[in-house]
Amino acid sequence: MMLWNRLKYLRPAWRRNQEREMREELDSLVAIAGRAELGNLTMAMENARATWGWTWLESIIADIRYSFRSLRRQPAFVAVAVLSLALAIGANSAIFSFADALLLRPLPVPDPSALFDVSYTAPDNPFEGMSFPDYRDLRDKSRSFAGVATYHLTTLAAATEATAPARIRFTVLVSGNFFPVLGVAPLAGRAFRPDEANAPGQAVAMISYDFWRQYPDSQSVIGAPLRLNGIVFTIIGVLPESFTGLDRFIRPSIYIPLGMSQRLASAMSDPLEDRGRHNLVVKARLSAESSPESAQAELATLGASLEREYPRTNHSRRMSVRTELARRIQQTPQMLELVKMLMGLVGLILIIACSNLANLLLARARARSREIAIRLSIGAGRLRLVRQLMTESFLLAIFGGAAGLFFAYLGILLLQTWSVPTDPPNILGAQLDWRVVEFSFLVALVSCLFFGLAPAWQTVRMDFVPALKDGGHGTSAGRRTLGRDVLVIGQIALAMVVLIAAGMFLAGFRRMLVASPEFRVDHLITLDTAPDMLHYTPDQAKTFYRQLVDRVRLMPGVADVAMTEALPLAPAQTILTVVPEGYQFPKGRETAVEFGSSVDAGYFRIMRVEVTRGRAFTVDDRAGTRRVAIVNQQFAKTYWPDQDPIGKRIRLDKPDGPPAEVVGVARTGHYLVVNEAPEPYVYVPYEQNPRSQMTLIVQSMADPASLASPLRETVRSIDPNLPVFNLRTVATLYESRATGTWLQFLQMVGTLGAIGLVLAMTGLYGLIAYNVSRRVKEFGIRVALGANRRDVVWLVERRGLLLACVGIAIGAVLTRVAMPMLAAGFRGLGSSPPVVYALIPLALLIVSAAASYLPALRAGGLDPLRALRDE
Amino acid sequence: MELLQGTLDMLVLRTLRAGPLHGYGIAKNIRSASNEALDIEFGSLYPALKRLEMKGWIASAWETSEHNRRAKYYKLTAAGRKQLLREHSKWADFVSAVSRIMGPAPEVKG
Repeated sequence: MMLWNRLKYLRPAWRRNQEREMREELDSLVAIAGRAELGNLTMAMENARATWGWTWLESIIADIRYSFRSLRRQPAFVAVAVLSLALAIGANSAIFSFADALLLRPLPVPDPSALFDVSYTAPDNPFEGMSFPDYRDLRDKSRSFAGVATYHLTTLAAATEATAPARIRFTVLVSGNFFPVLGVAPLAGRAFRPDEANAPGQAVAMISYDFWRQYPDSQSVIGAPLRLNGIVFTIIGVLPESFTGLDRFIRPSIYIPLGMSQRLASAMSDPLEDRGRHNLVVKARLSAESSPESAQAELATLGASLEREYPRTNHSRRMSVRTELARRIQQTPQMLELVKMLMGLVGLILIIACSNLANLLLARARARSREIAIRLSIGAGRLRLVRQLMTESFLLAIFGGAAGLFFAYLGILLLQTWSVPTDPPNILGAQLDWRVVEFSFLVALVSCLFFGLAPAWQTVRMDFVPALKDGGHGTSAGRRTLGRDVLVIGQIALAMVVLIAAGMFLAGFRRMLVASPEFRVDHLITLDTAPDMLHYTPDQAKTFYRQLVDRVRLMPGVADVAMTEALPLAPAQTILTVVPEGYQFPKGRETAVEFGSSVDAGYFRIMRVEVTRGRAFTVDDRAGTRRVAIVNQQFAKTYWPDQDPIGKRIRLDKPDGPPAEVVGVARTGHYLVVNEAPEPYVYVPYEQNPRSQMTLIVQSMADPASLASPLRETVRSIDPNLPVFNLRTVATLYESRATGTWLQFLQMVGTLGAIGLVLAMTGLYGLIAYNVSRRVKEFGIRVALGANRRDVVWLVERRGLLLACVGIAIGAVLTRVAMPMLAAGFRGLGSSPPVVYALIPLALLIVSAAASYLPALRAGGLDPLRALRDE
Repeated sequence: MELLQGTLDMLVLRTLRAGPLHGYGIAKNIRSASNEALDIEFGSLYPALKRLEMKGWIASAWETSEHNRRAKYYKLTAAGRKQLLREHSKWADFVSAVSRIMGPAPEVKG
């Protein structure tokens, strides 16, 4: 009731009524007692109104109104301030969205913070999955969790009908309780029933929202058939749009019960009963009573007891409970480095922008010192004035935040174009969502405190008598601008740090560009297919590939054909376990895992991988003849330093595996990323080491892209159900892997550098221009007394250069401290070429000179008579 | 004489116990009842009236005065009566506590 009463006092109509009522009452009393007797009635009414209890709100509204009016009078000031803030906030928000997509965004499930990741920590793998029997034990025995679910991500060939070509799609095999534990309910249809999830499993599937939208008739999807790896599934449910999966860069289309593993793999034994098969991801929802620490303690005991019980499969494996963020950081530590570096850079930019704002506000405070002085002298409280000034800063921050969102949106659009042409696509989920909006306004508010408070305080602390006397200009000059000088120096110093970071990227990037790909990129197109997905036996797969190569060779426009297990610089690389003859492994290890792939005889020719010593593979390296291998220079250097690798033998897979004789040495190339350190690599001949998934490389006579659909048709002519994926030219792949991402990265850091520079220079220009306007009289006198105009220009210019030099010197010190932190974890960035350190300060000095030259020119061009008269 | 803080509300309630009065009448009444010792400024009385009205302890209505003039008359409500009782006993406790400490006025020597 009380609250209702209070609220009613907010209604304007009610208030008007009350005011009238009060005025009438007071008038009537004046008639009775006389005005002198009653005293100050305005005050009485004002105080009576205050008892309504909303004066704080009224005064805030009044502050906002007043701020609007006073800001509207200075559109240029507002424009510069809002633009500065918007650039900085936009950069911060865009980078936040990027960081969110890379690391930070919580899982798209209700109460994500209670969901923990459980995995094994093994000596050679800090991140091993669990086997289904281990998961079952964990699920049934642990007390710490309200629910424990597990899943396994894979790719399957999906087709809607028997005759349609299959498309490769990310599919998640899930435990029966997967969706209940996550707290995700289907949008349409139903989730899996427990009996469907158990072995041997029912062929039922749930599909993602995105996949559902691809159906032409979305109404009849429930109950429709879906062929996965040739097995007919029934679609029973559609997931909501908000659930995009549990992996950051992957949006799975299909969810099916784990119980289907055996049939999908057409395996003899049930993979779910194999305790040694550590390939499941486990997510557990913590119960309300337990803590992550108690859960970790419980699982340590459980893991130890499993290790005792099953020493063969669970030897030296410990169970770890991690938060989702910890898991992501541990999986991709380089992302954390990237996020830290970028957040660091945009943080510096925000500081630069805030200094700019503080500087503008200080200058403005002097310009309106008369207004402030008047308000102080008629009795306005200093705190009240601070509040008023802070309201203005707050409005600026809100405008800056809103405009910053616009810049952030542009940045996010740019980020969304980042992609690697893979099939099915990987996704960088940078998006403008509520998290970004909240972040932007949070940054705006924090920066508002940062740039607004000190100037506001300084403004109202002034001595208002002289301000009133001399019309709001020039009191004790020197000390007053010291703070502003410091701000500008700081801006220049920070801008230098940001620019040097950008320069380092540029230099590192140039190195990558000039680095040769070490293989041919032109006139090549590749495609992947997966006969094993359609349950081909190894012999059938071999026949299929032979047939495919033969048919493609006869296609018009095809110059050459070859096959490889892994294409260099493709996002997925294959590895081989090898034991190089004569190499002394450190204690406890007896094999090495290196990049390597199975290639056919045409590979070295078509990819122009130079065999520097010995020979390439030939058609005679086939099953039944002596096993051979080719290593790259780095492999030879690593395992047989100062020895002739030709004739050495490598055992494959294990110490007593089949020996292969090294017959050639290939030039070292780039295999996973262009900026990697030289990596050892092993090639083995396909005919001796057949694989079930190979990449076909086709050399075209003309434009390789024109071969895309004929190639697809050729595969279909052999088996219409076979999925064809990663059909792309090598040039496209190389561009995106070697240059594309880096170019965009460079654009990003370069943009940050440019923003930093612009903001710092705005600050410098503003300060110098302000100084000139304050010293108009002095310059006028100097010119009148016969000073050379050049001297006046130099007088002003000198100050700008002095500030810039001090800023650059401090920036140099800061760079030495900050750069190792910023560049940590970036190969080829830490050691920045000296030219960067020389060029950036020089460029900064030149731009600073230009920024102070404009106001200097104005000072030099002053008409002494006018200058003196205006004062 | 300065008014002790917080006593104004009590005085207003007490004054209105005798019957409805308009704002100026309340001020005058307090002054005369205290033998001119308490000179309540109307400027501070008026907001107090509004505050008491908001709390529901007094109510107001337009009436015609003895000199045939319209004015707003305030009167005690039931809630106001209860509040006055509470304030009264609090005040009595306060007075007796303070006078126990102070005692009779000391003689000032020298």
